Amino acid sequence: MTDKNGFFDLSKTGLTRRTALKGLAAGAGLAVAPGFVRYSQAQSSAPIKIGFQSHRTGIGAAYGRWYERTTAAAVKAINEAGGINGRPVEVIIEDDGTDPGRGAEVVGKFATQHKTDIVYGTLFSHVVIGSAPAAGEAKMPYFVVSEGHHVASTKLNRYVFQPGITDVKSQIQAMAPWIAANAGKKVTQIFPDFAFGYDHRDYLPPALKAQGAEVIAQIAIPPTESSFTKYFPQIPAETEVIYHVMVGPAVLTFVKELGEFYGSSRPQLFGFIDSLEATDINSPGLEFLDGSHFWEGSPRYAQPDDSAAQKAYRAAVGIDDNGAAVGDPKDVSTAAHMFGCWETLYVVKKAMEDAGYKGPEDRAKLVEATEALTEFAEGPEHPQGPKTFNGKIHQCFGIQNISKVEGGRLNVVHKTKIEDGLYEPEGDYTTQPL
Amino acid sequence: MSGRTEGGAVERCRLSLALLLAALCFASPTPAFAHASDRGHVLLLPTGYYVAGGALAVAASFLVLALLPSDFPARFWRRRLPLFAFGDGARATVSLISFAGFAILIAAGLFGSRDPLTNPLPLAIWTLLWVGLVLLQGLFGNLWSWLNPWYGPWRVISRLFGNRKTWRPPAWLGCWPAFALFFAFAWFELIDPAPDDPARLAWAAGLYWLLSFAAMLVFGYRDWSRRGEFLTVFLAMVARFALLERNEGKRNEAWRNEGGRNEGGRLSLCWPGAKLSNAAPLSLSGIAFLLLALSSVSFDGLSKTFFWLGLFGLNPLEFPGRTAMIGIGTFGLVLTLVLLAAAFILAIVLGQHLAGSPHSLGQAAGLLVWSIVPIALAYHVAHYLTALLVDGQYALAALSDPFALGWNLFGTAGIQIEAGVAAGAGSAWSLWNFQAGVIIIGHMLAVLVAHGLAWRLHPVPAGAALSQFPLTLLMIAYTVFGLWLLATPAAG
Repeated sequence: MTDKNGFFDLSKTGLTRRTALKGLAAGAGLAVAPGFVRYSQAQSSAPIKIGFQSHRTGIGAAYGRWYERTTAAAVKAINEAGGINGRPVEVIIEDDGTDPGRGAEVVGKFATQHKTDIVYGTLFSHVVIGSAPAAGEAKMPYFVVSEGHHVASTKLNRYVFQPGITDVKSQIQAMAPWIAANAGKKVTQIFPDFAFGYDHRDYLPPALKAQGAEVIAQIAIPPTESSFTKYFPQIPAETEVIYHVMVGPAVLTFVKELGEFYGSSRPQLFGFIDSLEATDINSPGLEFLDGSHFWEGSPRYAQPDDSAAQKAYRAAVGIDDNGAAVGDPKDVSTAAHMFGCWETLYVVKKAMEDAGYKGPEDRAKLVEATEALTEFAEGPEHPQGPKTFNGKIHQCFGIQNISKVEGGRLNVVHKTKIEDGLYEPEGDYTTQPL
Repeated sequence: MSGRTEGGAVERCRLSLALLLAALCFASPTPAFAHASDRGHVLLLPTGYYVAGGALAVAASFLVLALLPSDFPARFWRRRLPLFAFGDGARATVSLISFAGFAILIAAGLFGSRDPLTNPLPLAIWTLLWVGLVLLQGLFGNLWSWLNPWYGPWRVISRLFGNRKTWRPPAWLGCWPAFALFFAFAWFELIDPAPDDPARLAWAAGLYWLLSFAAMLVFGYRDWSRRGEFLTVFLAMVARFALLERNEGKRNEAWRNEGGRNEGGRLSLCWPGAKLSNAAPLSLSGIAFLLLALSSVSFDGLSKTFFWLGLFGLNPLEFPGRTAMIGIGTFGLVLTLVLLAAAFILAIVLGQHLAGSPHSLGQAAGLLVWSIVPIALAYHVAHYLTALLVDGQYALAALSDPFALGWNLFGTAGIQIEAGVAAGAGSAWSLWNFQAGVIIIGHMLAVLVAHGLAWRLHPVPAGAALSQFPLTLLMIAYTVFGLWLLATPAAG
């Protein structure tokens, strides 16, 4: 069941959503389970309870499904390797409906009703922002996998961490050197006219300027727009790169109309895969993207130089070489983001082990132990790549991938350095009382 | 409602929402991932042609019917293909088994997994019952009269304590209790922040069962099923459309009073809508109930559209969640009912006026409202099809292990959930065509049903056709609306 690197190859264990989430809490079940590991070191064999604040319904459900699958795979792997501090991990899922108000209620339920050790797994930023005060009030460590800059901005509170995925400010900044050197110096940005777009509007221009390139136009598209042709004449003729981060159901229409506007001669295109996460890159209407480039947190398609850890991670989560569910090729994953769930759980494991975590009374120690972490080496626990962690802003920084659409797949053409995405900390959570 | 008042209400809504959103977004950037979603593929399809074609098809079916002999639908509908006869001696047993299953589901809701896609209760109620059973009921007839979890327990209590004289509800009550309860159900489904939460749903469904059971003991099973228990009222209306009919056969005496046995009803195959042809006119409360059934599922679609969210200044790509939508949602649920009811009544009034009808408005509306049934059923199927395809798989898995204890009762606990069945351009094309077909056929059948019923009101062909003209216009408009709901950009 383990490969030559000693890593668990879960593709051969018949992992299912249900078996993994059971947390292997029942002792009788453990004794007969394949790959049984004796939790001998534990003073208590009671499971570590992780409250998974999950987008099971609402607009985040497509992401929620893959976050759940990745979580299930990671927990299975952790349990089969002995759990955390010798104790099995049990995941309790509560649906937040991708709803900030409900999200805060769910955090409260985890704290008072389920008495979980931590809360984990939130993606949508507005849910994170809505839930963070409840986590702070309950003194509940809250590990999010959101990619938003809200954690690193230090505007939340000391109990909120994002140790498994780089924040969007860092991602955008890390793109600038490659864009300036390879795509072009005159960049026009097209983005949705709300917060998601504003990150790109605000962080890209200074990053490009530092690389000797410039943003020559910024075109904000109203979020309810479903036809885009009328905006394209605003793109300056001297544009060398169109940087696009449109999201929502009209993305396919946006790409199709952009293709019709430019025909065969177009500027370079650079986008964030967030636009097309969980969407087949070969969908009708997306032909115009051929030859364009995308940011990817973790590559959707298997790459020739994938590490053994990356291969094992993909097998464990159950995605094929095209980044779709094994056996269900139309169910395209959210590969660029969901690795963050896997890596976050291993950070939690590491921090709990460092803290000698025994139970909810040690939550403050867990916070301090997490803040004391500085780097995560690439490997089975961090298959996306190496990362550094800034304990003052509770945010990790990792490498980013730039992939080219060619031959109907995304091929990684450049991996950024961690340093490309570092920025001056905007505050220090560690000064806040626990 | 005056324009000023309405505008003021909207302004207040906008203000409170703006405050709420501002509170939520205190930290500067708030990225959100609005999934490109399968609606994105539909946006690339030539849906405008479907809308035009659908409207034309409904209009054409009206014209064709106007040219045919006026009793054509009635003659057509009289045809039956007899199949076989069977008694309903096992009905109480089936209902008792169903009750036991319901009780297990409630226990699972309270004590099983907290995940609404692992716990069988939300999946059984929202997917298997509210989508699957409604569809089966519309095709095969009144399965619910066997499957409902009240009849069996009620029979047991009646047997144990005798068939006591029950209090008869006053006639004026009509089925207003069912209307009120259906509204509460629709509100819970569409507006409540967490109708999928297993414990919350277990309490709601469990208390509803108890309340209904108590009412059945007080008012009698038959009376409360027809007046108060909204699922039975709704599903009996849907079953009127089914392709199978079971005649009454020989009934024993108890039937007259309280849900007694039907000794040997014969099952026959019939044309869709045939069973609506001899329907009695509905009371005002019945009319309101049917219109609510259609308007609530229409609002479910409308409430997620960019159009609706845009009216309230909400960003659909950063949908604020159901908690923030309670006021707007309640307003919308009532508004769609009021608008549909107003349009329907106006169409009936105009039709009566055009045909110079001697019948009262109540009589005409009560009869013609039956034509809403195929539309409501079509909306239901088209709207919830994707949920049935994907969540139906989750339901199969969850039923095998209702308490998340690692059981595998039916061998389906570990099945792979193939969400891809509803994903991608190919599926979007197939699903869209199926949905559009269902909506268009549903409206064409509605025109047929309305025509058949109008003949009962207006034996003169010209009168029947004239009386139907405004209602047909409404159905064409609703076809366009229904297709637009499925084609327009929507959140989620």
